[in-house]
Amino acid sequence: MVLVPFSPRTDFFASRPPAPPAEQREAVKMVAAKKHVPIVKKHKTTFNRHQSDRFDRVGASWRKPKGIDGRVRRRFRGTIRMPKIGYGSNKKTRFLTPSGHKAFLVHNVKDLELLLMHNRTHAAEIASAVSSRKRIDIISRAKQIGVKVTNPKAKVTTEV
Amino acid sequence: MAAATLPNISSDLIWEVVRSNNSYLHKTGAASNGGVQFSRDPLNLKNVHSRKYAGFVNEKAVGIAPGEKGGVVVTSKKAAAAHQPSKSAAQTSIGGGKSTRKTYKAVAAQVAKTGYRADLRAAAIERASAIRRSQLPVKADPEPKLRGKKAKAAAAGES
Repeated sequence: MVLVPFSPRTDFFASRPPAPPAEQREAVKMVAAKKHVPIVKKHKTTFNRHQSDRFDRVGASWRKPKGIDGRVRRRFRGTIRMPKIGYGSNKKTRFLTPSGHKAFLVHNVKDLELLLMHNRTHAAEIASAVSSRKRIDIISRAKQIGVKVTNPKAKVTTEV
Repeated sequence: MAAATLPNISSDLIWEVVRSNNSYLHKTGAASNGGVQFSRDPLNLKNVHSRKYAGFVNEKAVGIAPGEKGGVVVTSKKAAAAHQPSKSAAQTSIGGGKSTRKTYKAVAAQVAKTGYRADLRAAAIERASAIRRSQLPVKADPEPKLRGKKAKAAAAGES
């Protein structure tokens, strides 16, 4: 290991360009989400109904097994896990997207304005029935007020 | 307080009546994001549905909106005319040419220094700041960095 003598940086202040006046400054692209405790998903896959993989007539949505001999109900080794309250997410990270925002459904620009003071906790999600013309308005306004849009590419193409 | 001349409906009563449903309230489904409740009230600094920020309920309230030519417009309620919404608004505009620090100072002076609503000082400055930031020119999106086949095709096309 080679030790190098400490030399204080003298160019620090010189290297920093002066901040431009307010009119020339540009808005920050997107505000990052507020810091939060790490998101832990205790069970990542969905809970499918027992034997829904074996029969087409058995749908995938969860039904609790009720049979007297049910292996899954009796929690035998090697059987599928049943959902229970212990799999619930931390209250603080519940509903959070990986970016740390909660999704807020938006139908128009007026809805978007509600997020002006909440751009670090909530992200706008444009409703599916909104046309591409109105989506462009919503996305451009979201950029101005620094709100993240979860689905900015849907129905909108950028010119190449 | 001259209670005889004023309509005897307190803010607390109004709040109890309208807190579950009013035209400003925007509710969301509990399954999507935990059922957050926002408010469209122009006199609500945080857009949050709560007693403290509900401007249409409180006798004294502050609203901050973007001005037409940049800057911010601070609206406050005259406590004497709190029951007459058309008469109760008092507007002050702070131009966009002013520096942000001076804008916040002016906002704070109006909201808190005179003892109007000192509890809203931080929220008022926060909102003024958010509005001023939204008035800055928008940065253009950076060019997407191509990867894999597309990057090769682009490189071949250039040379």
